[in-house]
Amino acid sequence: MTRIDGGLTDRGTTLGFRFNGRAYAGHPGDTLASALLANGVQLMGRGFKYHRPRGAISAGSEEPNALVTLRSGARAEPNTRATVAELFDGLEARSQNHAGPLERDLLAVNDLLSPFFAAGFYYKTFMWPKAFWEKLYEPAIRKAAGLGALSGLPDPDAYDRGYRHCDLLVIGGGAAGLAAALAAGRAGAEVILADEDFRLGGRLLAEGGRIGGRPAADWAAEAAAELAAMPNVRLMTRTTVFGAYDHGIFGAVERVADHLAAPGGKVRQTLWRITAKRSILAAGATERHIPFRDNDRPGIMLSGAIRAYLNRWGVTGQRQAADPVAIFANGDDGHRTAAQLAARGVPVLGVIDPRADAPNLGGYETFAGAMVTGTKGRLGLTAIEVMRNGRAEWLSCGLLGVSGGWNPNVHLASHHRGRPVWDEDHLAFLPGEGGPAGLIPAGAAAGQGGTAEALADGLRAAGQALGDLGIAPAPVELPAAEAEPARQEAFWHVPGKGRAWVDFQNDVTVKDIALAHRENMRPVEHLKRWTTLGMATDQGKTANVTALAVMAELTGKAIPETGTTIFRPPYTGVSLSVLGGGDTGKAFRPTRLTPTHAWAEAQGAAFVEVGPWMRAQYFPRPGETHWRESVDREAQAVRAAVGLCDVTTLGKIDVQGADAGEFLNRVYANMMGTLPVGKVRYGLMLREDGHAYDDGTCARLGEAHYVVTTTTANAGTVFRNMEFARQCLWPELDVQLISTTDAWAQIAVAGPKSRELLSRIADGFDLSNEAFPFMACAALTVCGGLRARLFRISFSGELAYEIAVPARYGQALMERLMALGADLGATPYGTEALGVLRIEKGHAAGAELNGQTTAAMLGLGRMVSQKKDAIGAVMSRREGVAQDTRRLVGLAPADPARKVVPGSHLFAPGAPEDTAHDQGWITSACFSPHAGHMIGLGFLENGASRLGETVIAANPLEGERVELRVVSAHFVDPEGGRLRD
Amino acid sequence: MTDLTPITALGGTAPRVLGAARLTLSERPELALASLALGRGAEPPAPEGLALPGPGGLSVQGALAAFWTGPDQWMVEGADLAETDFAARLQQAAPGAAVTEQTDGWACFEIAGEAAQIEALAERLVNLPRDAYAPGRASRTALHHMGVFLLRRSPDRLAVWGMRSAAGSLWHALSDTMARMEALHDS
Repeated sequence: MTRIDGGLTDRGTTLGFRFNGRAYAGHPGDTLASALLANGVQLMGRGFKYHRPRGAISAGSEEPNALVTLRSGARAEPNTRATVAELFDGLEARSQNHAGPLERDLLAVNDLLSPFFAAGFYYKTFMWPKAFWEKLYEPAIRKAAGLGALSGLPDPDAYDRGYRHCDLLVIGGGAAGLAAALAAGRAGAEVILADEDFRLGGRLLAEGGRIGGRPAADWAAEAAAELAAMPNVRLMTRTTVFGAYDHGIFGAVERVADHLAAPGGKVRQTLWRITAKRSILAAGATERHIPFRDNDRPGIMLSGAIRAYLNRWGVTGQRQAADPVAIFANGDDGHRTAAQLAARGVPVLGVIDPRADAPNLGGYETFAGAMVTGTKGRLGLTAIEVMRNGRAEWLSCGLLGVSGGWNPNVHLASHHRGRPVWDEDHLAFLPGEGGPAGLIPAGAAAGQGGTAEALADGLRAAGQALGDLGIAPAPVELPAAEAEPARQEAFWHVPGKGRAWVDFQNDVTVKDIALAHRENMRPVEHLKRWTTLGMATDQGKTANVTALAVMAELTGKAIPETGTTIFRPPYTGVSLSVLGGGDTGKAFRPTRLTPTHAWAEAQGAAFVEVGPWMRAQYFPRPGETHWRESVDREAQAVRAAVGLCDVTTLGKIDVQGADAGEFLNRVYANMMGTLPVGKVRYGLMLREDGHAYDDGTCARLGEAHYVVTTTTANAGTVFRNMEFARQCLWPELDVQLISTTDAWAQIAVAGPKSRELLSRIADGFDLSNEAFPFMACAALTVCGGLRARLFRISFSGELAYEIAVPARYGQALMERLMALGADLGATPYGTEALGVLRIEKGHAAGAELNGQTTAAMLGLGRMVSQKKDAIGAVMSRREGVAQDTRRLVGLAPADPARKVVPGSHLFAPGAPEDTAHDQGWITSACFSPHAGHMIGLGFLENGASRLGETVIAANPLEGERVELRVVSAHFVDPEGGRLRD
Repeated sequence: MTDLTPITALGGTAPRVLGAARLTLSERPELALASLALGRGAEPPAPEGLALPGPGGLSVQGALAAFWTGPDQWMVEGADLAETDFAARLQQAAPGAAVTEQTDGWACFEIAGEAAQIEALAERLVNLPRDAYAPGRASRTALHHMGVFLLRRSPDRLAVWGMRSAAGSLWHALSDTMARMEALHDS
């Protein structure tokens, strides 16, 4: 046990938790790492490649080593950093990436084979035989070298998303962030202060310093309380701002319930999109280590992390309290750790400092001009080798803190390719120009890492933001803080034999970088990909700059000449579940239901997704064992009696205005302005490139009032294109558009008995052929006064109507029609029968209007009016389009027992079945109950003049070929007498 | 009167209501809706004395309320008029304007509760600054990939108009978010 007095945990409460099955205790306020260290547990995991024992080296989100799997079962979450996992009662954690117990990992044999696992090893070694890579090498390597494994079970938790807007987003709640938020909050700005930690204060909680004469952590708590009381300030703790995006938008994840054993009814995490007019990056800094031989043992930690464990958690970090602690530092910062430990009675071996003039802050020995050149300890540090004046000496040591300077957390400032700039005074990259607009770096993130400097810099940044926002600042008194000694000298790694780790997470050593240099992988981008340095969950937070420095030394160049590290989002790992925003399964996207959906469900309909719509596909009846039985019956009912189909999904666009006719003339290829009131006309729309893109009917309800119908699929596209034409192409036209697709329930009433059925609901309306002929439309009332619209149009080729009523009455109307039509054989039909009926009639649908077909190919070439211009008309006449001889034809199998398969390509009999001899393809096919065999529609070269010929439909993928007869596309009533009767 | 029985957007014969501890969500099928668009160059009318508001505005006059939906375009609500030919009434009050029946093109859900609760719910639903759904404001936005109108009728009431065919998805989004919010308070 290495827990001492002090710290910010609640010692009065004990939390039980398990690590690798063993029970331990901690306190509220602990992280998993602090609680393990308090229990003398330094060994927390195994290295990526060599499976060497590893412990936590940090106390924050930069942690590369102490990755654990939290929880179990479906909630198991791999690669969680023990250093930020908030302790809760009952927490269960397991170490990762080992075979057998953590203490005796069988895969540690890799460490003995390390000469074979240098950088680039895989690329060079597993080249042959090529086929082995995917099936053997890669799976084996992934199994041996890696991070944690997913449970493979569905995530049981809920996630959600939200949106927040503010004047100022302060990223990071340390000294600079708190000062900035106070200044902006008191000035009345709408402020969001976000911090990844569960407690505000940042390094103020870790440093043990004083502000305004009292402990800095107390000042932070008071500042947080003041901010919490401001209505214009929102504090978001446990929230990582992970990315800066365009226009002041930031992505953030709030871990709502990660610190609870189970979320209960709560969401696990929330994805926030924060839109901020200005932002302050007060994300602090990450301490660097100094690579030396065997610097990766548990018990070797960043010096600042030791201070954090000491001051925030009251934990000293050795396995046993009596184990001496040493510090290896190139600057004064490391000496502060030693002085604080000594002052707390912790045995301090001393500070090993390569500087000849290394200071002593009291209470420990200074090893000036010295370096650490080796370590011992199989599962945890037991001794260090100190080299001084050319003499090496092994000293017993249970914890070594390493301090190589601090790297400002410039990540978000470089998310818009803002390039950090090397600053020789700070020996660090500072945020440069060109980062996200409106983002102001402050505090340690801007190189102002001392407490007093950070507070002042936070105020400065807030002042700048308020100035930009035009908000008058309110007075904020800057509290006094002690100055910390911060002198340092460049010292990047300890030269010598053996392996010195630079990137702990990816097991990249100084030697690997030297190898990359020898292999000419010198640009940082190549270095990264060759060695994997800076990859994986920590993205090289503790490694990148050190690696650059080592490479600079090898190339003899300065660090900024060697390269710059920039960063992409996310700052830390973000779960896919939360990125999904919470909606999964059926709620993944909106679903649209027709007005008769519930009724169709009650009829036992099978449904099909049509874009966002759910449409009834067919209505099986008892005894029908195959969908085709139902579909054949439904289609036959339409041909023989009357069928009912909900066609509400077809787009309806209300077009009004004095120039509505002219407008429609320009959007339809055919003439529409001449349509008489009370009539409907079939219309074809072309894309600007001259190809057909949508068809439908247009009804003229009044002098200046039309209703355009579109296909279901293109309802949105047509409306958007018409709106574009109205607003941008011809703003001079007096036209008003609005969608009314959902407003009206529309039911197709089709079949020879449709007139009889409709006459039973129409209120005194003359449905006779004379009064209401084919292609007529009218407003009327039905069922005792309900306003309705009736259109005499037919998709099936039969006498048919579509009747529209306000959507809320759609279901009742369907039920009424079914009831009143029982004696007529009224039959509901779905989209399958609809398809059969239209193929039998030779009507084009989506499969024919596939974006590659012209009006002429559809047999509608004469619809493209020569008397007027319309969108696509000119382009439809261009060379290469106008000459296309493929025409829509009907296709029937020579042997009626054979299948007609859509997608098959058409060839002349005897011709080679290859691309060069391709004569077209089958677009649609079905079994036709009318014909008694399968039929198809397709485009065939010179199709119009080939009726009666035989073609071959080939499906080379399946090795099928069928002989087909070319016939009229109108299998039913080619003269069109039925629909006009 | 027709003897057909209408159903609500959610498929019931009575409006659905979901009461939770802090917020109530209810279906409002009795509200009529019609769009009103001006002819080119026409002056905005004041149907039945209703002033047609500018962008973001929401105006109320007697049984009518209007909100702006685009240049020279508005939606006009009619309280308790859904079973009437509301578009015809509005057309009469605004001759020359293009009026289109929209009552069943949309479905209205209303959220009632304390202002702070409504705002906390809204920020989980729509990407808008709070001003956009301040009391007396109307806005058009996307909610869970669906186009909606938000009307903040008063501090304690927020109406959401969404497309009728997607009413089930909209109700799910609203009620689910409400339930998650309630759970946050239950800690």
